[in-house]
Amino acid sequence: MSSLLSIRGLKVEFSTYGGTVQAVRGVDLEVHKGKTLAIVGESGCGKSVTVQSILGLIPSPPGRIVSGSALFNGTEMIGKPVNELNKIRGKHIGMIFQDPMTSLNPTMKVGDQIMETLLIHGRYSKSEARARAIKLLEDVHISEAKNRVDHYPFQFSGGMRQRVMIAMAIACEPELLIADEPTTALDVTIQSQILHLLRELQIKNKMGLVIITHDLGVVARMADNVAVMYAGQVVEHGTAEEVFYKSLHPYTLGLKQALPSPAMERSQLIPIEGAPPDLFSPPRGCGFYARCKQAMTICSDNNPREFYEGSHMGRCWLHHPQAKGVEV
Amino acid sequence: MLSYILKRIFVGLITVFTIATLTFFGMHAVPGDPLLKGKVVNEVVRKNLEEKYGLDKPLFVQYGTFLTNMIKGDFGLSFTQQNRSVNDIIREHFPISAILGALAIIAAAIGGIIGGAIAAVKRNTMADRSIMLLVILFVSVPSFVFAALGQVLIAEIKTRVGVELLPVAGWGTFKHMILPSLILGLGTMAFLARLMRSSMLEVVHQDYIRTAKAKGVSSLQIFFRHQLRNAVLPVITFLGPAVAAITTGGFVAEIVFAIPGLGRYFVQAVQQLDYTVIMGLTVFYGAYLVFVVILVDVIYGFIDPRIRIAGA
Repeated sequence: MSSLLSIRGLKVEFSTYGGTVQAVRGVDLEVHKGKTLAIVGESGCGKSVTVQSILGLIPSPPGRIVSGSALFNGTEMIGKPVNELNKIRGKHIGMIFQDPMTSLNPTMKVGDQIMETLLIHGRYSKSEARARAIKLLEDVHISEAKNRVDHYPFQFSGGMRQRVMIAMAIACEPELLIADEPTTALDVTIQSQILHLLRELQIKNKMGLVIITHDLGVVARMADNVAVMYAGQVVEHGTAEEVFYKSLHPYTLGLKQALPSPAMERSQLIPIEGAPPDLFSPPRGCGFYARCKQAMTICSDNNPREFYEGSHMGRCWLHHPQAKGVEV
Repeated sequence: MLSYILKRIFVGLITVFTIATLTFFGMHAVPGDPLLKGKVVNEVVRKNLEEKYGLDKPLFVQYGTFLTNMIKGDFGLSFTQQNRSVNDIIREHFPISAILGALAIIAAAIGGIIGGAIAAVKRNTMADRSIMLLVILFVSVPSFVFAALGQVLIAEIKTRVGVELLPVAGWGTFKHMILPSLILGLGTMAFLARLMRSSMLEVVHQDYIRTAKAKGVSSLQIFFRHQLRNAVLPVITFLGPAVAAITTGGFVAEIVFAIPGLGRYFVQAVQQLDYTVIMGLTVFYGAYLVFVVILVDVIYGFIDPRIRIAGA
């Protein structure tokens, strides 16, 4: 399987008044052509920062990529000058952001915003670009696209804006689409439509897809591979089946247990107790130590290395040969 | 949109009427005698003049006459300038003030918007600090000081180098207009620059700027297409009041630069208690400013589609 995007040892910091936040602490990820990688994890675990650093979208200052590499089709993205990045942004890598209400320019017609991408990267005349923008709006199932192309974002509902964002991101048929919580702000019906749409496009364009989400339902529906992130690190990585049915990390297990089911009563919800560690001064040991029910002595002072079962990775000392016999 | 404009015009008319009434009674409450300045000492001449100008009648009758004439568009005769009607004064001298004001506004808007935008984009650099320093200087030092300094500078260059860059005073050619309009616009320019800077700083961090970056739009295009237009909205709202500031500021500039605009007559009229001229010019300026503020609001609607379409 050919690798489309390969991230190795990515570390990102933010300087703030309170000190330096180590938002991403050595992340490795792999995205394959035509496949979907889902990144899950709670707020502040570094998911968005990871994907935004690939396109150089980390505001700098305060953000800084300390080290690491991100190879896209074999070319290094980290440290690429902006004018070089601009040839890849929007053309080879499309990006959808999480808040459709604020991610579109309020004083620009949606058609013009879609056309902008086309005119920058493709050899389109104005009228061809307009025709293509209408076609794209139709592709994302916006009715009366011919009229809608001249409307402004405030005339669209949240779900429609998100679809406009998608139309914009896929305008140049990118090889990789990064969707940062594409459905979080939307209701379930529209969420389902949008996921369906992404799937369609992926099959049609053989597009690699990175989808960031809190929602394990979305993961189950979309993902080929899953990376679970916690406190700036990938703590578990594998195929969707592996991660769901043979979880290697107590955090993944906790996430699964926290899933509500219709049969449960409200009081039966099982949360993961505690809060994630302070990334101003990350713990020396495992980031999950303080919240982990199976924590061992070694976990408090030594950050676990990666343990593999085939290609399925878990960053947890429970998989050390000497800890054998303990059930995760 | 149309009903909105009509409503604004109606409110504007009430504003102008209020201005006229307050000025009328305020002016008559001021101690002094308009005819004294004309050195009328002879009782008979004074009586004739009082009759000619209607000053012998009770105040409310004068007020009524003034209102009916005003509605007909007639502001009457000047007390101090022989047989010259206020309408003539406005007709002759307002265009000069208007040109001066318009040039000052254009200079202030262009300079303020560009200066503020540069300061925001290059924030915390030398460029930003220099611009903000100038802003403080221009806001806090009154324009007549810069007017005098500008004149001195030009005179100095003329004596030292022998080149007359611009005329020091007077009115006529475009060259005459450059210095006064620049100086008249300085304070407003500085204020607009500050407004633009903070507005721009807000826009720079908006999500849609990140979206534009992710599309591969170059920094220059992001600046012009995405940042400038959104950042300029609050600045435009201020343009209405800015016109007022520049118009009133123009009175001073006209005197310093010996420009035969309306402002000079206004100041003169107040000094000489020339009732008809004061009334005429106040009402005229009031109506003019109300009109400009409405105009700016309508323009704002065209730039911000959320207002234009939501209002339609």
